[in-house]
Amino acid sequence: MSFKQELKSDIVNTPIRKRVTDLDHAGGDTGAMQAFASLRDVNVVLDGPVGCHVMPAVAVINYTDSIPYLQNVTCSELSENEVTIAGTLPALKEKVARASAQGRQVFIVSTPVSELIGAAWTTLDEGVKGTPLFFNSESLDADEWVSRDRALLFLWQNRDHFVRPEGVVAPAKPARPSVNIVGPTYGCFNSYSDLAEMKRLLAGIGADVNVVYPFEANSYDTPRLADAGATVCMYREFGASLAREVGLPVFFAPFGLEETTAFLRGLGEALGVQAQVEAFIALEKTTTLAAWQDIWRSTHSDFFANAPIAIVAPPTYKDGLERYLGGELGLPISYSAYRTGAESAPSEAVRAALRDASPSPMLIFGSINERMIVAQEKLPSRFYQASFPGAVVRRAIGTPFIGYSGAVWLLQVVCEILFDTLFANLPTSYAPAQRADKPTAQIMQEAPGVVTQAGKGQNSVLVWTDEAKELSERTVKRAPFFVRVSVTKKLRAEAEKLARERDGTVDLSIVEEIVAKFAPGR
Amino acid sequence: MCPAFGAIRNLLRMEDAMPIVISSGDGCMYGHTFVAHFYVANRPVFSPGVSSEMWAKGTVFDELKAMVYEIAEKHAPSLIPICSLCVSDTVGMPFELLPKQIGNTEIVYVPLPAYSVHTHARAKDIVVDSLVWRLPPQRKARSGVNLIGEVFPSDPIKIDEVLRRIGTHVNTHVPGPRWADYVAMVDGSLNAPLHPFYSDSVKRMKMKQGLPFVDGAPVGIDGTYHWIKDVGEALKLDPAVVEAVAAEERDKVVRAMADYPLKGLTFMVAGYEGHEFLLVRLLIEAGANVPYLSTSVNTNPLAREEEAWLKEHGCTVLYTANFDDEIGALEDHPYDCVIGTTPLCAHAKELGIPAIYYTNAMATRSLMFAEGASDILSLIVSTYRSKERYDKIARFFSADGVPRRTYSSWAPTIDLTQHLLANDAFGQPAAKP
Repeated sequence: MSFKQELKSDIVNTPIRKRVTDLDHAGGDTGAMQAFASLRDVNVVLDGPVGCHVMPAVAVINYTDSIPYLQNVTCSELSENEVTIAGTLPALKEKVARASAQGRQVFIVSTPVSELIGAAWTTLDEGVKGTPLFFNSESLDADEWVSRDRALLFLWQNRDHFVRPEGVVAPAKPARPSVNIVGPTYGCFNSYSDLAEMKRLLAGIGADVNVVYPFEANSYDTPRLADAGATVCMYREFGASLAREVGLPVFFAPFGLEETTAFLRGLGEALGVQAQVEAFIALEKTTTLAAWQDIWRSTHSDFFANAPIAIVAPPTYKDGLERYLGGELGLPISYSAYRTGAESAPSEAVRAALRDASPSPMLIFGSINERMIVAQEKLPSRFYQASFPGAVVRRAIGTPFIGYSGAVWLLQVVCEILFDTLFANLPTSYAPAQRADKPTAQIMQEAPGVVTQAGKGQNSVLVWTDEAKELSERTVKRAPFFVRVSVTKKLRAEAEKLARERDGTVDLSIVEEIVAKFAPGR
Repeated sequence: MCPAFGAIRNLLRMEDAMPIVISSGDGCMYGHTFVAHFYVANRPVFSPGVSSEMWAKGTVFDELKAMVYEIAEKHAPSLIPICSLCVSDTVGMPFELLPKQIGNTEIVYVPLPAYSVHTHARAKDIVVDSLVWRLPPQRKARSGVNLIGEVFPSDPIKIDEVLRRIGTHVNTHVPGPRWADYVAMVDGSLNAPLHPFYSDSVKRMKMKQGLPFVDGAPVGIDGTYHWIKDVGEALKLDPAVVEAVAAEERDKVVRAMADYPLKGLTFMVAGYEGHEFLLVRLLIEAGANVPYLSTSVNTNPLAREEEAWLKEHGCTVLYTANFDDEIGALEDHPYDCVIGTTPLCAHAKELGIPAIYYTNAMATRSLMFAEGASDILSLIVSTYRSKERYDKIARFFSADGVPRRTYSSWAPTIDLTQHLLANDAFGQPAAKP
């Protein structure tokens, strides 16, 4: 089953030359920082100039996680003195000392500058428990996903290094079936909702959550990962290396009804709770998924076969959305691409594909990059965010993409966007109505009566030249299928209105004029 | 949906009309505005408020009259249709006391008591009929064909192109977006009701303006050929030219339909637009088995020829059909695809049968000539092809092989299918699934 496949993000391709437009992923230092800083008892010291700190930990985090700034991330604040003369160690030591004094487990994360000048962290207390750990983030070559994966593995490898503070009692080994959730760190799109849904599913089948790692854990909880019966990996981009090392059965977060059902059954088997799993699935069908079945049985789903979508996102979401929306719901996927790691599609390829798709996708899932393409290319498509980069608030936990709730939520999103598209394309929107400039008797008087010259009349059916017809057909074909009636109506009405004001024939120039006015469609 | 909405939607689509709806209460008005803003237009729907006291004291009419004057003076639309729904038509309002014109604005009463209108189709007929009644007498010199009936927006252009090749043209098309489209009807020399429910309008035009009519539409192989021939004959055009064009268009349809064979598939079609007669024609010509057509349209002279054609091709027409019958039939016979009303489609989906809602997916889609045939058949084929998806979902929600009924578990089983079987409608006895 596809949910068991694991998709490893490779190191960003490092050819001798490359060009980047509208980058879609952060660097290795950011990924490592986001992973370590997620642990509650940790302080991350970024060894680099101030920009390496304020960009990821202050400016960006506020628009990915809606957190004003990460309080447990500091920086050695390298300046030209450290870089060229003094070396970075004194500045770094000062920040490390300050963080350690608070009793926090310190992680020193390298940045491009520190890596370039060969700065590292070597002290005499190496090997002593609880002392600061240095992590080479390979920030020039590793992307954020590779780096998160390495950081989590690094934590596991150092699991005996971390110190449980005095007075904090270690929890007893779980008596009931329990599961680790490996995945969310800062900067993971929609992670709050997806985590909540995963917890709900686990509770539903009678499994306890052992550790949510690293998002709801302390560094000293790391060894406890071994106490569970299985590990759920939220993402295919990272976390699998850790999960594999822990050695328990590994499952990946599922998308859609079919995958979620298989996921629950697989987990049930691994934990020996098959009966609870079946009872939960049966209950879900009449509760959470009653909404799903109702929407499916409604006329809403009739549009699906003619509502093409495009998906541009990292592998977990891109593949998951494609399997669910394309495979299970039957929405045609007019284009899809990864925007991360070695398989990332170049921005220009994405632009060309979205621009040239005919019909244009009704809906484009993506990041700010795709949102810009929709605006710049004046596409009639709606945009829905499914990936970073791009400022968004996703802290309420009611917008999951995974699991049964995610299946319902995404179905709702698609339908709402469908309605939105319908509204934008309603053929009539005159308020108030056009004014009557003459009484009926005068309309009669001025009407040409018998049409002697083909099509030169006041009456409603005007002659369209072949070129005009051709351009009109081409334009209409770009519109999503289910609004073609409205688009055709609009185009015809506007073109004929112009033609009536002129010589009564709809020619190419008239249609060109209308199409130019029309194209934005929003 | 309330039958009266068929009229309100067409009037709201007129760019130079501002309809006033005399609702039967806020529940009624809420429903009409809700669907109007979803399907029709983002524009306000005007209505005098109503309450039991206002009805009793007759102030609804005072309010209506004030609104008519206000709208006419402020906005001067070409047309203010007064849509009178159930309660106002039952109470009786002195509509004759309203002015017929204010400035350039025509004020037209459109009687729409839903309890006697019954269907959307009938309501649409009432609109055309009410507006046609207001027209001045027909001109003496006239030419061209008046198309009557909602079609895909580019269809009139396509029809015009074909008609010009046989020596005539489209004069106007209603329901249209402008009052002038209706006024232009007096210039035409032939009415062509494209759907078989504009019987009152056509009768009125015949009575008042002396206009002959041809029924049917250029849909499907036979339909395209005969419609062109009928128009040629009615207007006494050159028979050789007419025959050549009719045959050419027919052959194009034959070629287009060959791409979408539906042989061996059984369809259930239940419509309420009148348009369903034409759709079934296409399905049958593409090889499908359509044991019966269920329509909410009442039997009328315009449908007679269509009905005869369908009967000849193994399809029984059930007028003013009952939803319970359809549900029963659905349970009983393994249909491959359902095109019908919302509840019928919902039920089909519960059973894992591919289904599409008539209004959203089918109505006002192009059906005409070769392009129309391939357009609609490709949609149907793509729907049928997702059978496996429908089946899988139905299985997921079923318990022990019994579909999870959320809506129609009360529906009676049997009747209709047994009846049809007895009449050999399916050819072979249906096996229980």
